[in-house]
Amino acid sequence: MSADRETNHTMTDTDIALLLADAADEVEIGIAPYQAVIRGGRRRRARRWALATAAALVITGASGTLALAGLRDGNGIEATPAVTQTATQPSTPEERHVYTPQETMLAAGTEKGETWYISVDVWGAPLTKAEAEAQVQAMANRHEDPWDKDSPSALVGKITYFVKRAFGSGDPAFLMGDSASKADAMAGTDLKSGATSLDPKKTDGPQRLVVGQVARTAKAVTCTWKDGSSTVARRVAAGADINSDEATIRPAAGSADNWFVCVAPAGTAYQSAEVTTD
Amino acid sequence: MGDRKQAREARDDGFQSFVIGRWPRLMRTAFLLTGEQHAAEDLVQSTLEQVFVAWRKVGSADDPEAYVRRVMINAHARKHRRRLKEFLAPKDDSGLVREVADTGDRIAQAEDRNALLKALAQLPPRQREAVVLRYWEDLTEAQTAQAMGCSVGTVKSNAAKGIAKLRAIPGLAEMVTQGGPK
Repeated sequence: MSADRETNHTMTDTDIALLLADAADEVEIGIAPYQAVIRGGRRRRARRWALATAAALVITGASGTLALAGLRDGNGIEATPAVTQTATQPSTPEERHVYTPQETMLAAGTEKGETWYISVDVWGAPLTKAEAEAQVQAMANRHEDPWDKDSPSALVGKITYFVKRAFGSGDPAFLMGDSASKADAMAGTDLKSGATSLDPKKTDGPQRLVVGQVARTAKAVTCTWKDGSSTVARRVAAGADINSDEATIRPAAGSADNWFVCVAPAGTAYQSAEVTTD
Repeated sequence: MGDRKQAREARDDGFQSFVIGRWPRLMRTAFLLTGEQHAAEDLVQSTLEQVFVAWRKVGSADDPEAYVRRVMINAHARKHRRRLKEFLAPKDDSGLVREVADTGDRIAQAEDRNALLKALAQLPPRQREAVVLRYWEDLTEAQTAQAMGCSVGTVKSNAAKGIAKLRAIPGLAEMVTQGGPK
């Protein structure tokens, strides 16, 4: 017993330990529910990503789970993400965008006379706990709270992104986000998406807005709607024009993945999304 | 691609072995923390789900057990504090005092265990966690402090208070003096 042995009346620490052991034996152990744990773990990982949405979240890929590390091109050859291609990493946290995110517009359009747009803020990876703490504070100043805000050290080595949606005259509001290390970069046909209503005030409305991330090698994403129709988002270059209501896949500054946005026609809603060859 | 797939399979195998190997012990600890079968199952499953999310890091750590304990204690603190008394509060409002059992009687032994579980449930969560980790998990004060996310001094204080309350149960003390429950 590592517990200090004391005597007090008639019960020693050892006696307490024995009683606890006896009481613990009352539980029915059963078989470890490994598969349920795996399912729950995957749901938990996914739920984090779609925290602010009443969204249908989908994570797909060749293996049915997220890629493990690095990126691969269409032939399965490993390709280094563009963000890590530089031989020397920026040295200061400011250069790494630890305290100020890089913002990229992903899509824009008009719905019943109201303009909307989707953007993503990508915060660079802090390298130390101190940087992470300062980053959490900087995020708070922008009303962006990571899931690990209570333990900033969990952000070390991870980029954090917040996807935001602006609709009509309303301010941009958080839609979804996550923190991810380089090892979480998507590959092949991996896809992570969330679907929600286009108008944030109509959360019970049809899930017409689909936002997601795919590997940099993905050339097209096909969003299929409940009425059987579909929309294909095709890859465009970084900085390509944002054309109203056009579905695209595009890079986001600071992100190892590319991002896509599809919007279902009025009267239908999200059914599925997958990486396709065209 | 093959190497990566093998690495993932190895990691999955490692997690599966971990889950299967640790499940009984975790269940017992969770049972002492929660006092109820289903709550214990929920606590362990919830804990392992969180561990799965971080397994890439946890599995390669020097002491994955420490991480798992910390997750479980945090989860317990969040989810089970309020529910405990619903499960285990004495319905007859008799507090911790009970009749001394006949030690030869299996029913009485079960009542003794129940009394201990009820007594644990009466402890504030931090005292209960300290007692379970120190006296059931047999952790050192430093390990307990790490699991509870507090100082060693706080562990000492919580464990001492918790143990003092358990010792105040006349039935338990009597049972021990007569040879224990088994």
